[in-house]
Amino acid sequence: MLQNFLLMIDRFSMAVGHAFAWCILILTLGTSYEVFMRYVLNNPTSWAFDMSYILYGGLFIMSGAYALSRNAHVRGDVLFRLLRPRVQAGIELVLYFIFFYPGVTALIIAGYGYAHDSFGYREVSVNSPVGVPIWQLKALIPLAGLMLFIQGIAQVIRCVLCIRDGYWPRQLHDVEELESVLQHEHEKHSAAAGAP
Amino acid sequence: MSNPQLALVMLGAFIFIILLGFPIAFTLMAMGVMFGFYAYFVPDQAFFDNRVFYLLSQNTFSIMNNDVLTAVPLFLFMGYMIERSNILDRLFYSLQVALRAIPGSMAVAALITCALFATATGIVGAVVTLMGLLAFPAMLKAGYDQKLSSGVICAGGTLGILIPPSIMLIVYGATSAVSVVKLYAAAIVPGFLLAGLYVVYVITRVAINPKLAPKLPKEETDVPWLKVVVLLLQAFFPLAVLIMSVLGAILFGLATPSEAAAIGALGAMVLAIAYRAFTWGRLKEAVFLTARTSAMVCWLFVGSWTFSSIFSYLGGEGLIKDFVLSMNLNTLTFLLLSQLIIFLLGWPLEWSEIIIIFVPIFLPLLSHFNVDPMFFGVLVALNLQTSFLTPPMAMSAYYLKGIAPQFVLLWTIFKGCFPFLGMVFVTMFLVYVFPQLVYWLPNVFYGN
Repeated sequence: MLQNFLLMIDRFSMAVGHAFAWCILILTLGTSYEVFMRYVLNNPTSWAFDMSYILYGGLFIMSGAYALSRNAHVRGDVLFRLLRPRVQAGIELVLYFIFFYPGVTALIIAGYGYAHDSFGYREVSVNSPVGVPIWQLKALIPLAGLMLFIQGIAQVIRCVLCIRDGYWPRQLHDVEELESVLQHEHEKHSAAAGAP
Repeated sequence: MSNPQLALVMLGAFIFIILLGFPIAFTLMAMGVMFGFYAYFVPDQAFFDNRVFYLLSQNTFSIMNNDVLTAVPLFLFMGYMIERSNILDRLFYSLQVALRAIPGSMAVAALITCALFATATGIVGAVVTLMGLLAFPAMLKAGYDQKLSSGVICAGGTLGILIPPSIMLIVYGATSAVSVVKLYAAAIVPGFLLAGLYVVYVITRVAINPKLAPKLPKEETDVPWLKVVVLLLQAFFPLAVLIMSVLGAILFGLATPSEAAAIGALGAMVLAIAYRAFTWGRLKEAVFLTARTSAMVCWLFVGSWTFSSIFSYLGGEGLIKDFVLSMNLNTLTFLLLSQLIIFLLGWPLEWSEIIIIFVPIFLPLLSHFNVDPMFFGVLVALNLQTSFLTPPMAMSAYYLKGIAPQFVLLWTIFKGCFPFLGMVFVTMFLVYVFPQLVYWLPNVFYGN
């Protein structure tokens, strides 16, 4: 029941992260088109520059919660990984309240005001005369903060469960880095070969 | 407590929290907000009118519309696509037969394959793991020395973060405001010098002691020359041309780094299609991994810019500057000290954290010691090669150990890496003594 709730949050972060991940394909094709237009047809577009950072900015900011749910944010875990899961969870639980929520909450509230002002005068980019709107990019800041806030709740509950049970509860998995896929396969393979 | 003292508390607390293992991006952001709230506190002001909140949004947005960092996801995407294009085994085989006349041919071929593939993908872990599964067993089977074989794969795979077009130099460019284009031009000669020294080292060792790398049986490498050329044309040249055109477009000023990266990513997709490796599933994998890794790098920037703007507002930067200046260092001792600190930081931390968080501490000091930030960047990039190869957190060695046969000990792999570490230090020394190695290419392209 609780487990399903946690996985539901994972799935929500993943869905948003995956949706925004496709920005990279549009970014690749759009920028290539601009280069083609400029060098081959000598007719550069007026929107390519604004498009590039809007797609890039949206891509990374909305993948923050997705990365958190997959434990992809860097941490200096030299000592951390040596600890027992219960101790790890205890430390994390405290640190989530001191070093996660204050920053993320500030991002939501400050970002809301920031985006609200920008929307107020329908802010457009100054980079080209076309006037590409950029208030929507600013509006992503509080949304990204909100997503982190929600994913953070799942991580906090996981810490509590781990303190109770002594092991980390399951998280949702999707794609893995090639090296971890291969390393994992190799482990299974040699374990099977080692069995009598 | 005075403001600069508070800045020191902030830095100390941050280092302590890093060691506890909490995600660094959020730690930086929260500490920036908390200390900033105190620093900008005005009595009788409404809570959310505190300047720190505006600063946080402004910093976040300046990362979001940073036109240098736009290249990061594009190069990542290019790398993840090439990783999935089934090119590696062809590449290794073609180089192996092409180099058969050289002593230790398989080790040299593995080294060049690693370097080329790592340059194209920029993802060290994947290169070391893939080559550890492909070339490492082949070398052991041929009777190659375990230490030599491990060193070749770990050191070769790590070159990917150094040789342009590398993501690390983009990140350094975004941190230091040095033009990425010039950084690329500056890092090419030192990068190739290091790769060249690796190759020379392997050939010399094997020439002195042929037992380290027995010659392969004739029937295994007896491929007619025409066939060798065809093999090279199929595997080596497409990848080399892709890298050269991306790099060339940047250096000749035809395209910005992000435009060149987009062309590179498109080229990588074409390459995958040509090798019949392009599937919907693989495209999805590459797209999702790109999003995750970009989020990791760029959120670190969001946290770090907020943290460091508060840190310098409190006067922390000035305090460090005064402290270092009071040590009466000259240019050489300053460089030695700063590189030593970066080397030591490389033990527990990864390059992204070092460049985004710790290198900015040194940057304001450079002008006092007449050190060019571009020159410093090349030294840092070389130095960070060691962070993958030195115990206790030698990531390359761990990747190799994870997939190596049971009888290869971790300590053997470490020992295999040590001579290559030596080569990194030799290259740094050469770059210091002959700065022309760094400046020659940027001067050729862009004048003084």
